[in-house]
Amino acid sequence: MKNKLIILLSLSFITIGFSQDRTIISDLENLTLDVGQVFKPNSKVINFDGSQGDCERLIYYNKKGVFSSAKSIIFDRSKGTLKANDPGTHEIVAVCINSGGKRLTKTFYVNVNYPKVKEVKLSLSDDNIFVGNYIPLVYEITDELNTKRIIDYWSYDVASKYFSEVEVSLTSSNDKIQIDKSNNILALEEGSSSVVATFDGISGMIDLKIKKNPVAKLILKSDADKSRSGDVINFDAIAYNKKGEEIDDINVDFSFTGKSFDKSNSASGLILEDGRFVGDVPGKYIISAKVGNVTTSKIVNIFPRNVKREIKKVGTGLVNDKHTSDFWVFEGDDGRDYAVTGTWGADGKAYFWDVTNPGNLKKIDSVQVDARTVNDVKVSQNGKICVISREGASNRKNGMILIDVTNPRDVKIISEYTKNLTGGVHNVFIDNNHVYALSNGERYYIINIDDPYNPKEVGMFEVGKEGQSIHDVWIEDGIAYSSNWRDGVYLVDVGNGIVGGSPSNPVAFGNYSYATGAHHATFPYKSSSTGKFYTVLGDEIFPNGVNPNGTNETAGFLHFVDFTDLNNPVEVARYELPTHGSHNYWIEDDILYVAMYTGGIRIVDISGDLLGDLYKQGREIGYLLTGSPDGYIPNDTMVWGTQLYKGHVFYSDFNTGLGAAKVSQEKPDNSKTNQYLD
Amino acid sequence: MLAFSKISYPYKFLLIFLVSNIINSQNYYLYVASESDDTVSLLKFDGKYIEEKERISVGIYPTEIEGPHGITIDPNGKYWYLTLAHGNPYGKLLKYSTQTNEVIDETTLGLFPASMQISKVTGFLYCVNFNLHGNMKPSTVSVVDAETMTEITQIKTGSMPHGSRVSNDGLKQYSVAMMSGELFEIDALSLNVSRKLSLDNHSKMDHSKMDHSKMDHSKMDHSKMDHDKINISKMVHSEIKPTWVIPHPKENFLYIAGNGSDEIIEVDIDKWKISKRIKAEKGPYNVEISPDGKYMLATLKSSGYTAIWNLKNGSLINKIKNSTSVPHGIAISADSKFAFVSVEGIGGEPGIVDVIDLNKKTLVDNVKIGKQAGGIAFWKKEP
Repeated sequence: MKNKLIILLSLSFITIGFSQDRTIISDLENLTLDVGQVFKPNSKVINFDGSQGDCERLIYYNKKGVFSSAKSIIFDRSKGTLKANDPGTHEIVAVCINSGGKRLTKTFYVNVNYPKVKEVKLSLSDDNIFVGNYIPLVYEITDELNTKRIIDYWSYDVASKYFSEVEVSLTSSNDKIQIDKSNNILALEEGSSSVVATFDGISGMIDLKIKKNPVAKLILKSDADKSRSGDVINFDAIAYNKKGEEIDDINVDFSFTGKSFDKSNSASGLILEDGRFVGDVPGKYIISAKVGNVTTSKIVNIFPRNVKREIKKVGTGLVNDKHTSDFWVFEGDDGRDYAVTGTWGADGKAYFWDVTNPGNLKKIDSVQVDARTVNDVKVSQNGKICVISREGASNRKNGMILIDVTNPRDVKIISEYTKNLTGGVHNVFIDNNHVYALSNGERYYIINIDDPYNPKEVGMFEVGKEGQSIHDVWIEDGIAYSSNWRDGVYLVDVGNGIVGGSPSNPVAFGNYSYATGAHHATFPYKSSSTGKFYTVLGDEIFPNGVNPNGTNETAGFLHFVDFTDLNNPVEVARYELPTHGSHNYWIEDDILYVAMYTGGIRIVDISGDLLGDLYKQGREIGYLLTGSPDGYIPNDTMVWGTQLYKGHVFYSDFNTGLGAAKVSQEKPDNSKTNQYLD
Repeated sequence: MLAFSKISYPYKFLLIFLVSNIINSQNYYLYVASESDDTVSLLKFDGKYIEEKERISVGIYPTEIEGPHGITIDPNGKYWYLTLAHGNPYGKLLKYSTQTNEVIDETTLGLFPASMQISKVTGFLYCVNFNLHGNMKPSTVSVVDAETMTEITQIKTGSMPHGSRVSNDGLKQYSVAMMSGELFEIDALSLNVSRKLSLDNHSKMDHSKMDHSKMDHSKMDHSKMDHDKINISKMVHSEIKPTWVIPHPKENFLYIAGNGSDEIIEVDIDKWKISKRIKAEKGPYNVEISPDGKYMLATLKSSGYTAIWNLKNGSLINKIKNSTSVPHGIAISADSKFAFVSVEGIGGEPGIVDVIDLNKKTLVDNVKIGKQAGGIAFWKKEP
């Protein structure tokens, strides 16, 4: 039969596509399975006259594919069976190939039941329920496969998703509580009540003791009555009973309303459960504290932050025959100041510059290596050795190149190193006598360069997960901060000693990731004004892909993660510039210098406690658009990175090369901005 | 109407000449990927001159090189498919319309997806996950339904698989594993490896030079060897380093580029045995056979030439110096008249596509395109 099929197929002229006169019928139609169930589909082709059609081979597949995240239904093709792994509705495609080599396909929708609920447990995040309070119920739902789902009061997005799949109802034992249509529970009267939550016929119950509100009076205190936009005000509510005695350990709900001073704007801000408040927009804000039916409030005025300064372009080192990538500014062995810039998608060149006078950036030397992209460049702390990365080498060995920059006017290639780095080195870092080089976007190797003519691999770090991916690594105080896209930042001891790590024994001790998975760069930062330690995690997103004929649309922002408690990192703030995405950045003295690609360089005051949306808070000191009419793509700002060096903001731009700017002490001259403004 | 017989002779000749030119003039179209420029070029060759009709930017990240590597066109000529080698970390397969050169759909494949072809029977696309820069471990062939752009399965093969080509009957897919030196045959319908063949010439191993007298077996503690933990695939490092495989268009033979052994290996499909080893110069990389079955061409990557063999007798007919260094892929026109060779170049040099006239066995024209020209696919011939 098989031979017959082959002969027929080889003789036929074959057309691929859906035949109009036949269809596939299958017991996959309207099939419902349970999780874990194995099923052997039975399908056949029927001609439109009702007769059975020819179908030599049937192949089934899951339309979600086989990627690691799509194993909802898997196939054992040797047995002709499928297995349901995840609940939900799945598309299964049946492909029939007949003896004439014609293909027929049909998609079937297979429903996989959520495992039946086995147990429902209810609990409270706060046992003290007072009249007038909403009751913060927590649901713990365990199914027959022992999968546990915990839905807390503030995660209603999760609850909503789950509630849409299973039937849920809440009932109370009496009228002392009120349950609204969204299943919020309000305590109305003192006394006992109970709530029964039923999921798919399985119920859980909790007894509630609604207490009389012990609070007779609330006093709201704050560490400031007025402040600037972006400054965090700490509110503290003190509760007193009828006797005037202070009540300890009582939960207070904080909220705010406000009105912007500018009538055309909206007041906005953020208040946390612990009473920290930040106003984004200048205006009058009423902060309220509430325990049950006792409330109090306090008004604060938020005034403009008033940090704008003039940003002046000082010098340009134009590179307009090719794209420019990363750069590094350093003090040379002779005490003068120098920079190195890489090139992108070009001829494998790196340029060296004398930047001692930022107003007169002079190209003084270059190297050319077998590569198309020199994406990253770094220089050792002593200003003697430069490392550059290679991608697109003609022999596909890529790797990195060490360069003697003792005399930046006459740089010399010391060595080429490719071991384990043939997949292309996208980013590198040099920390004293070690180079940290990314390999194939999957891991980084640590290479000792005590003898730069014979670099030696001493260590390697990888996340160790399927599909691991890395974009950058940055070293500070013996800690390597790697940016691992969907796996977020990893803090790795490579000599700090915090967990006994070293370059030859890198030990991870901290991690934070976030939902978008676009984590591209990390800058560690200890706030001078608060002493808090943050990792600032940058996205890189091109929402519309490549636009070769004009400005590329960019997206993404900086995530400020408070890492003061290494075991409990908390994302507290963001810097997001509307319609422009983040790339590389530098932080010094509580000022952020960020390359927002098409949005130019943005200089942002990040002093004080950081909370909420830093862009909205008027923290921007100034900006500079780095495009030039003489650029590789004229007038197209695409700033790559920034570095504050001896008081000047150096930058590289994809289309214009190297540049230097200065943050003036003067406020911007707005005299021509709008004659009607004060 | 003017009768042909009434036309004077000089005009008759002119008319015949013009009509014959119109009938014979053909335009050839092909697509070529430039791996270090993230572009694909649509080229047109009119029989004398080749030109770039369009340069299409591909990829998602404008500031990252994503490495378009493999390119193929579906049997109906309606779509072209492109692999992007580098992702986060997995590469992608993109589907484009030949009418608009716009992306229609995409899917994620494995590590460094490279060459591929669609079976005219199953409509599935079989793409090797080259995993060029990864660890020496078995990689996979991804099978994608080109209609829905769904990756159906990944079939494990050897270390660094390359050169995915489908048999003319559409029922088998062949690839070679560069580091483990194996040829794999996948059944296009059952989606399993049906046969594999080691390509290394084991007869070349000279056991006589091993000094067994110095081996003291008595001191070997075999009890401590955990055979379960020995990964044989890791131990194989092929001397052949096969980089390409192509089935003969009419006969049951495969031709494989032995990039490391400087040879073309002929495999008899029926006997599943190596039937011939054809000596080539240094570094054969891609192999192609003219549709009429007369000629075999191979790019000699290391020496910068393209070689042409008479396939009947295995003799080398000519060796043509390419226009720049590092020749890569070959596509031959459906009428077997012309071969198009992508040549990578080095560093900032542009990639080049050379056109070889297969009747004259000479280079007739070339065109500069994006950097590191690699994957190449013949699209169509039309008047």
